Amino acid sequence: MKISRRWIPAIVIVLAIAFPYIVPNPTFWVVNGGTRTLWIGLLALSMAFLNRNLGLMSLGQLFFSGMTSYTIAIMSAKHGVSFGLSIPLGIIIGTLAGLIIGWVALKTEGVYFLMLTLAVALGLYSLSLAAETITGGHTGINSVAPPKIFGVDIAAQNTFYYICLAINIVVFATCVWLQRTNFGLALNGIRDNAARTTSLGYSNSSLRLAAFTFSSFIASIGGVIGLFYYQAISPDSVGLVRSIDLLIVVVVGGASYLAGSYVGAAVIAVFESIIQDYTTYYVAAEGVLFIVILLLAPQGLMGIGDQLRAYRANKALKESSGA
Amino acid sequence: MSQFLFTLLNGVTLAAVFFLVASGLTLIFGLMRVINLAHGGYYLFAAYFSYTIMQHVHNWALGALISSLFMAIAGTIIYLVLLRRFQYEELRVALITLGISLVLQQLMLALFGGDAYQISVPQPLQGAFHIPGMTIGYPKFRIVFLGFAVITGVALWALMSKTKFGSIIRAGVDDTKMVAALGIDIQKVFTIVIALGCALVGFAGAVGGTSIAYGMGTDGDFLLFSLQVVIIGGLGSIGGVAIGSLLVGLIGQLATAYIPTMSGALPFIVMIVVLAFRPQGILGRKL
Repeated sequence: MKISRRWIPAIVIVLAIAFPYIVPNPTFWVVNGGTRTLWIGLLALSMAFLNRNLGLMSLGQLFFSGMTSYTIAIMSAKHGVSFGLSIPLGIIIGTLAGLIIGWVALKTEGVYFLMLTLAVALGLYSLSLAAETITGGHTGINSVAPPKIFGVDIAAQNTFYYICLAINIVVFATCVWLQRTNFGLALNGIRDNAARTTSLGYSNSSLRLAAFTFSSFIASIGGVIGLFYYQAISPDSVGLVRSIDLLIVVVVGGASYLAGSYVGAAVIAVFESIIQDYTTYYVAAEGVLFIVILLLAPQGLMGIGDQLRAYRANKALKESSGA
Repeated sequence: MSQFLFTLLNGVTLAAVFFLVASGLTLIFGLMRVINLAHGGYYLFAAYFSYTIMQHVHNWALGALISSLFMAIAGTIIYLVLLRRFQYEELRVALITLGISLVLQQLMLALFGGDAYQISVPQPLQGAFHIPGMTIGYPKFRIVFLGFAVITGVALWALMSKTKFGSIIRAGVDDTKMVAALGIDIQKVFTIVIALGCALVGFAGAVGGTSIAYGMGTDGDFLLFSLQVVIIGGLGSIGGVAIGSLLVGLIGQLATAYIPTMSGALPFIVMIVVLAFRPQGILGRKL
């Protein structure tokens, strides 16, 4: 079992590289299945990283990704600034927003934190809706033409897919690596017993803030991908339904597992694509799926194995103590 | 000057609607530590529902009453079926209510479509009050609605601090287990508080639906307003909701009138600033 598990990342990467060539109907599935999974998965990863390592559920990730998307769209599509400048600046602004919001939001915990970050995400919606002269109001900013790098059109179906794949592999590997560093271990210590890490001399608040800022950095990269995926940005792309959509992905995949982000994103992408043929109210079906997962398997699909193991162990324990 | 007063009054009367919406939220949270993120959806549903009822009964007060009763029953059923067994897992409950809000949003889209609605003002409340210092009159119904909010606020305060039931709730806020140990059926108290909170949002739907046009997306807007109100004012405190509503209502209206570009950002900035200094909100208890 141990050896086969080691091969899983390699197998997944090989499959992901081969994906555009093995999938049926690639014009549909590469975009709506592959690239979409990578984009949403990256945003979900930024949430899962926080949840796994700090035990915090943030609904504010769309604020950071939205800030990045809007910055790039306003600079490049409206004022003709080169992408070489606007993309890094957009990511910096999204990450800085994370630093500021994190400084305030991390003073709270649990359900307060959830509520606060949700208010932050919804704040960007009403902010971008009201600031019509800057953000284009309800219509937003459309026809954001993606850049050409050395004459290569990055928006071309497979090119964009492989760029997203490369970004995701690097970010995911960074997350896994971070979890193994002293920084990551300290985060887990704070999550499990904050009083003890304090007494050991760790500065809980700055470590937590560093983790939050890192997660908003991931979300900002997701904002760049999202902007070029739709080639547009509008208030609706940062609204309530979108925040819940993202949450559904995280919860369905398993919020305490980094890989759960991609499992959730893939499952939801396939679920949406299939169910759209049967009903226009597919979002409601997603909501029902979400509630069912929360009721029955709060650890998500990735957690079902652990949940079953715990259930069996519990049962065995009861039987042995009963007899 | 006249425009300034008008804007001020708009802010205060808007705050009245926010107060009615958010007081239900804070009441439930105060006792049970459960946050209902479908609250904006409940509000919008109540607005649609009371509109539909009023189309049939042609009586605003009766429509508002039926809406309150209906929301109380529906909210209690949702609580009993989906939320009760997890009520000590705050985060799970919050997430489930987000799922409910998504399903509700789609349900309302299917039932009522994407058009904007507004409940017509009842006959006796049509027309305007003349207010000294203002060249134009101010809609009468908005002043009356402000009165509703004040009465509701006073009634809630009296309920919480002057009655036996209120003292049970306040004791429950501090130590649920101890209250249960004293032989009080705390589950029953929880259910009554849920029903009361949902009745409030049912009433708020009728009141808010008359003063402000609503439609698709209003659920998200009102969820945001209620969150801002309770975050600024402090969760679990009726006085906090009053202060939060006034701040969010006034700042929003003043910004819309004088610096429209900032009207979305300003309440948000205020919220961040309040939190930076008082994470528990202005009147909230220490976290």
